[in-house]
Amino acid sequence: MAKMNDKEANHTVIAEILIPMSEHDTPQVKSADDPAFQLPATLGSLSLPLCIGGLVALLAGWGIANSIHARFGMSVYLTSFMYCISIALGCLFFVILQHLCRAGWSVVVRRIAETLMLMVIPLGILFLPILGTLFAGEGILYRWDDPNHALENHLPIIAWAEKTRWLNSSWFTIRAIIYFAIWSALALFYYRGSTGQDATGDKAITDRLQYWSGPAIMMFCGATSFAAFDWVMSLAPMWFSTMFGVYVFAGSILSAHCIISVSVYLLQKCGSIREEVTVEHYHDLGKYMFGFVFFWTYIAFSQYLLIWYGNIPEETEWFYHRQLDSWGTISIVLILFHWMLPFAGLMSRHVRRNPKLIFSWAIYLLLLHFVDIYWMIMPESAANGAEASPEGVKGVLASILSVTGMFAFMIGVTLSIAKRNRIIAFQDPRIRESIAFENI
Amino acid sequence: MSENNEKKIHGISAEYESVDSLLNACRRVRDAGYKKTDAYTPFPVHGIDKALGIQPTILPWIVLGCGLTGTVIALVMQIWMNTYDYPYIISGKPYLSLPAFMPIAFELTVLFASFGAFFGMWALNGLPRFSNPLFTDPRFDRVTDDRFFLYVDASDDLYDSAAVTELFKQTGGEHINTVLEDDSPDKIPKPIFMMWGLVIATSVVPLLIILKMRVTNSDLPRFHIFFDMDFSPSKDAQQGSTLFADGRAMRTDVPGTIARGESGYDLDFMTGVQMDKLSAVDKPGAERLVRLTLGPIGPQDEGPADSAEEEVGEDDAPKAPGVMETIPWLTANPLGNSREVLERGQKYFGIYCSVCHGLNGGGNGLVNRRAIKILPTQKTQNWIPPSSLHQESLYAENYAEGKLFSTISNGIRKMPGYAGQIKTKDRWAIVAYVRALQQSRNATLDSVPSDRQEEIIERQNQVQQELQEQAEAEKAAAEEAAEN
Repeated sequence: MAKMNDKEANHTVIAEILIPMSEHDTPQVKSADDPAFQLPATLGSLSLPLCIGGLVALLAGWGIANSIHARFGMSVYLTSFMYCISIALGCLFFVILQHLCRAGWSVVVRRIAETLMLMVIPLGILFLPILGTLFAGEGILYRWDDPNHALENHLPIIAWAEKTRWLNSSWFTIRAIIYFAIWSALALFYYRGSTGQDATGDKAITDRLQYWSGPAIMMFCGATSFAAFDWVMSLAPMWFSTMFGVYVFAGSILSAHCIISVSVYLLQKCGSIREEVTVEHYHDLGKYMFGFVFFWTYIAFSQYLLIWYGNIPEETEWFYHRQLDSWGTISIVLILFHWMLPFAGLMSRHVRRNPKLIFSWAIYLLLLHFVDIYWMIMPESAANGAEASPEGVKGVLASILSVTGMFAFMIGVTLSIAKRNRIIAFQDPRIRESIAFENI
Repeated sequence: MSENNEKKIHGISAEYESVDSLLNACRRVRDAGYKKTDAYTPFPVHGIDKALGIQPTILPWIVLGCGLTGTVIALVMQIWMNTYDYPYIISGKPYLSLPAFMPIAFELTVLFASFGAFFGMWALNGLPRFSNPLFTDPRFDRVTDDRFFLYVDASDDLYDSAAVTELFKQTGGEHINTVLEDDSPDKIPKPIFMMWGLVIATSVVPLLIILKMRVTNSDLPRFHIFFDMDFSPSKDAQQGSTLFADGRAMRTDVPGTIARGESGYDLDFMTGVQMDKLSAVDKPGAERLVRLTLGPIGPQDEGPADSAEEEVGEDDAPKAPGVMETIPWLTANPLGNSREVLERGQKYFGIYCSVCHGLNGGGNGLVNRRAIKILPTQKTQNWIPPSSLHQESLYAENYAEGKLFSTISNGIRKMPGYAGQIKTKDRWAIVAYVRALQQSRNATLDSVPSDRQEEIIERQNQVQQELQEQAEAEKAAAEEAAEN
């Protein structure tokens, strides 16, 4: 009880000292029922159409891709899945990170990330088809699931025996369950904590969320890194890169900042949180987008440099394959348009302080994030004994249709969740600090 | 006051109790049109730029410029160094390999951008500045503690002390103070000099210790700061190793290794032999020659020991005169006889051959001259002088182009083979140049274009005279040496 009182007192100190220092006309937080805190009806009504349309598009995309061949179909599905889950995981990381460093600026946009991160739970169901490929046949998606793979490709028996100790259906399934358990638990813990605070305004909740943020971020990093190894890297079972998890994460955290920016912009367009989120928050989101564009490049290049320099066939294979034909073109596209263009475009403060431009760059980067995921997964989509290719216009359209479908479906689900709660954590102890936040 | 009047007035400052009152005052001062103003606070205050009407800084542009300069310098430096100035193969990569240059380009970009930000900020703020007239006011010390100050400079166009004072009063400023020239002594205090002297003196101590150690002996074992650098586990040339079955640390090339720039040559070009003809008359011999030239590639029936023996046998083979005579050598230089080839040949002849054979091919190079000079003092008298290349037995009619190439490549008698040092193409260029040297002794005036004949005659006379003198001098020197 005494401890509680200390913490209470601590918050009072924060409220009395910090806030008057960083802002000068202490802002008033609107009342709980203010429509500015609710999901705008225009967006809420999109929920059902997005869910239905999304599912139809997903099935159509997968169906067309499947007609090319089964592995191509499942690769397209995996691309869509990884696109959605990487965004969800980026949002989860964003939320934990804000608690870990006790950030004040981000309180007004944190609920958006909190709502989006809940996508990991329905995505657990959408993972079932991927898991199903392991049990429905042999090597439908993952080559290591095919018992003849080593023999057909003349792989060393000992190396393959070691590989399959890790890469086998049952252990893979158990790991997937562990990953989803960790993510879902974290997502629910932080979402419930935050929305619970809406009702009570209990500052102890913030303390609890912060207290667990350290272990949470460690669990998150472990699960995310190994999930990237399992789900994407193991598509090329003999290839390995310890950096790969970080690479997937880099695209993930970048797209999380993008989707938060896009969501804020659209919510404000529809009339919500107009006074709470200011140009200062766009500025900060823009800074993070700028920073993570380079972080992505840094990680991607670090991974490439070591492999290029070492020049060991078992490592270079993966990149060599991505330097040929259409995959080579996509690699160049990534360098030019996932790094250079947004790096130059987001460099200026004037861009970052312009919500419309930040919104445009965020949309742009979300599109490029799809290219990145596509580039990771699709070059491994070849049928046994064939060369992988995007399979022409049909294959590309199927991929785009599928990813659009799954993404729309997930947004539809997210909107239906967002309807139930406020879209801003208006009872957070740092809400005033966040509203009054200024960069310069 | 009378004393104060003589001093320069810098401006007026006022003290405020809170951020809010300061910001309010800032806005009033800005709205009143003052431009040369500044605010001083114990901590960064957000929004003060706007309140005071401070224009956006050009610092970002300086940083961008410096960063780009860093990128360009790093790339140009590395490309020039490793591609043009000192081409050096590192880890088997091309001379110009951008991925390898990226880390340094990145680091220099960051370094230059940081310098730009740091020193640019200094320059824009007029730093370093060791004192500021504001420091003359003892109350100003509280700016690092709990007070906020606003200042209007006297050089502002609108400056009027009464009006500024009035404005400060209206906005709640206290202790309004006219900022005067700092009249504290500007001499640097002596203790600072002493401190510097002490630091410099102390910094010499390690150097003195090192110098003393350089000139004295010690019984103590050497002190190794970086033990693993002094005793690196890596192997030197010719050392043994338990890692490999043959016990050697040095490894031979991977079978089929081809030196950079040496690929794409046909066998005739690499051996100087017409391989088709050779394989028709002596198939095993041709196979051995191929294996010797290319290294062990392709299917091999013999074990490694056998092939090594074979190679030794092959090494001896060229020495046997019978084989050398019967081999169908190439009779024409595959590079032809262009000026470019000859100049190339001249260059490499000058580098590799002339030390023994002399620049004119006469066999009297620096090595020979030195040998003759020191021979009388040596107990052994078995010096075999380098051949003159102007013997008739070495002319093209008697010594095929391919044979000359093979001799350069594999050596003859005491002359070592140069295949490892001189590239294949350059060896052929040397062959062409040797032919040119030989021809130069036997050319007639008719082989010179008519318009240059006169010049040649003149030159010929001159050279003959010089040669005569040289021969005499050499003769005299030889006689002198013999007498001694």
